[in-house]
Amino acid sequence: MISKIVKSGLTRRTFLKSTAVTAMSAGLPAASLAAGNTIRIGFLAPLTGAVAAWGKPGLDGCQIWAERVNAAGGIKLGDGSYDVEFVSYDNEYDPAKARTGATKLIREDGVSFIMMLGGDTWPGVQPVADKTGMLFSTLLPSDLSPDTNTLIAPAEVHPIYNVTGVEWLAENKPELKTAVMCAQDDALGLPSVATYLAAFEAAGIEMLDAPLLFDPATTDFAPVVTRLISKSPDIVCLDTCYSDYVHPIAEQLFQQGFTGQIISCTADFYDQMIAKTSEEFMEGFVFQFPDFDDPALNGDNINFTDPNGFYEAFNTRHPGQWGAVSWEYASIMDLWKAAAEKAGSASPDAVAAAMKEGKGKHAFGDADWWGTELFGIDNALVGDWPVVAIESGKARIKDFRSIPDWYAKHGDLLIKHMQAYDQMWNQRS
Amino acid sequence: MLDLLAQTGLNAVYAASYISLVAVGLVLIFGVMGVINFAHGELFMAGAYAIVALYAELHLPFFVAVAIGLLFVGCLGLLMEKALFRPLKDNPLGGLVASIGFLMILQALAVMGFGVRMVHIPPVTQEVIVFTEKVRLPVARLYVIIAAIVLLSALWYFLKRTKFGWALRASAQDPEAAALQGISITMTARIAMFIGAGLAGIAGALTAPLVSVNPHMGHSVIVTAFIVIIVGGVGSLEGAIVASVAYALVHTFVTTFYDGVLADIVGLSLMLVVLIVKPTGLFGSADRA
Repeated sequence: MISKIVKSGLTRRTFLKSTAVTAMSAGLPAASLAAGNTIRIGFLAPLTGAVAAWGKPGLDGCQIWAERVNAAGGIKLGDGSYDVEFVSYDNEYDPAKARTGATKLIREDGVSFIMMLGGDTWPGVQPVADKTGMLFSTLLPSDLSPDTNTLIAPAEVHPIYNVTGVEWLAENKPELKTAVMCAQDDALGLPSVATYLAAFEAAGIEMLDAPLLFDPATTDFAPVVTRLISKSPDIVCLDTCYSDYVHPIAEQLFQQGFTGQIISCTADFYDQMIAKTSEEFMEGFVFQFPDFDDPALNGDNINFTDPNGFYEAFNTRHPGQWGAVSWEYASIMDLWKAAAEKAGSASPDAVAAAMKEGKGKHAFGDADWWGTELFGIDNALVGDWPVVAIESGKARIKDFRSIPDWYAKHGDLLIKHMQAYDQMWNQRS
Repeated sequence: MLDLLAQTGLNAVYAASYISLVAVGLVLIFGVMGVINFAHGELFMAGAYAIVALYAELHLPFFVAVAIGLLFVGCLGLLMEKALFRPLKDNPLGGLVASIGFLMILQALAVMGFGVRMVHIPPVTQEVIVFTEKVRLPVARLYVIIAAIVLLSALWYFLKRTKFGWALRASAQDPEAAALQGISITMTARIAMFIGAGLAGIAGALTAPLVSVNPHMGHSVIVTAFIVIIVGGVGSLEGAIVASVAYALVHTFVTTFYDGVLADIVGLSLMLVVLIVKPTGLFGSADRA
């Protein structure tokens, strides 16, 4: 190829010179962005693969958040206003790739804060966090431990909020007395299993069988469902299964004739589940993540700016893609922005200190930094959480429930089951 | 308990059906061409995405989409034979490495064409055959079972009763002797690739409405297929079918009566036991292994 170019009249010297100029100019935009009035935020989550549904919609939500904030004048720090730019890195839910991504985001992109899904990827990143002091966030507080000083869980206390769904069910459908559960055998599934077990025990709902764990590579869920419903439970609990599992499991429950109650942490893309089953079958399906066009989100307790408008903008740009995490990373950015403006600085130490002063403005209401008993560190922001049910084909918030109130009454049960599944901070490897 | 056994049995028959379609295709390609096709799981995935494109998006009738999917994936097999395996036929590892590269290309194309997330496919039918209240067979699963029986029977007839089939078997047993008898090794390789890839494609197409279709769905399928062909005997079509049934029975029953994680361990243990007791597999011969 090069010989052809040279033959066309281009000398080797000219070729090398033009190549060097091109390479330098290609590097200029990045350099100018880093030097200008722009704060870069790292987005280190799975954007491809089986867990992408808990990464990609979050990045899409963050882009909308950034446009709104930048249009409103940006982030106001001590030395002026800054626009926000997200720099993403697809960790494919792989710890090694997450570590590479964290290093790249800090060293090459100069980010001020990194948001992660967490879970299996956090162990890969923790050494980078320890070494650099970078402030990270996770959606999964089960990543927290006394050693994770620069890791916060400000959006959701997965899986602890799952107790609110079970508590609501027990109060509103007291005829439901028995339950079974299935989960994928991984860092997301197991702490959630322990939480649901505690919640069912606290609610006086009997588990008919030990939780059925399946390999994350499972594709055919008919045997799992056959086992689940073999003892005719009132409730089938889908734990924190990924949407790639929730959908086929729900379809199998429908096809194998289950007519009882289903409860799940998430029901992403539930419209597709309705299409594969029926509106009647999905009626009353309880989960924990609302659509943001829900009228209940317009209350004074909500600390998320214009949730209905955000939902509309998201669905206009990404029709059918709204999921559990679409708003969560954006809500973390609300907290980060407030803390940075309070501190007058984007430096990780200053933001972390400002963030943890007093009550936190969680999306679903004011909340407290909490977690020493469960996580060994008070780095999880905990308050109220919504219980959502599908009604006539649409997700609707049924209630907001207090996680700290539940924990005050039943915390011992949660610790018991977390210990049984080796999920306490001092048991996790 | 009888209901539970019966439902589990039906689940196992379905699993055996799609696993055997994939595994037989893989064995056929290895038998005739001597190539371990690592991209076989992605051919399964390509069949599933053919349904996404033709049935879910273009709204063609499901079985028309399945037929086109079979032809499409069969043609992908022909492309692999011509572009990858034929030029590298003298390189013992060349075909294997090339198939890994092709696997990545197919995954990347799926991501570019359809995105990274699970794709929604409308149900083909919601009809369910109800034997008892707790023993049910969804008709969409019955399609897979019928397709496996029909296609594998047709393949058996083709291989045992037709001249092309004899040529294929002769090429698999001794390519040089077959060539001396006037059999075109290139032609038999093409036929093997078309049929082998087509079987994976139709398995993917028929199961697409029943599973989560995503660019990485071929991984677990190829792992299962490798376990099956090792247990059955590398190169043995009969072995692949018997091992598919055995693996599906063991995996399904262990999942139902114990749990899914243990089922995977038992499946792998089954392979290890066979390798220790009969290293050539249940139906394999020493020269083929």
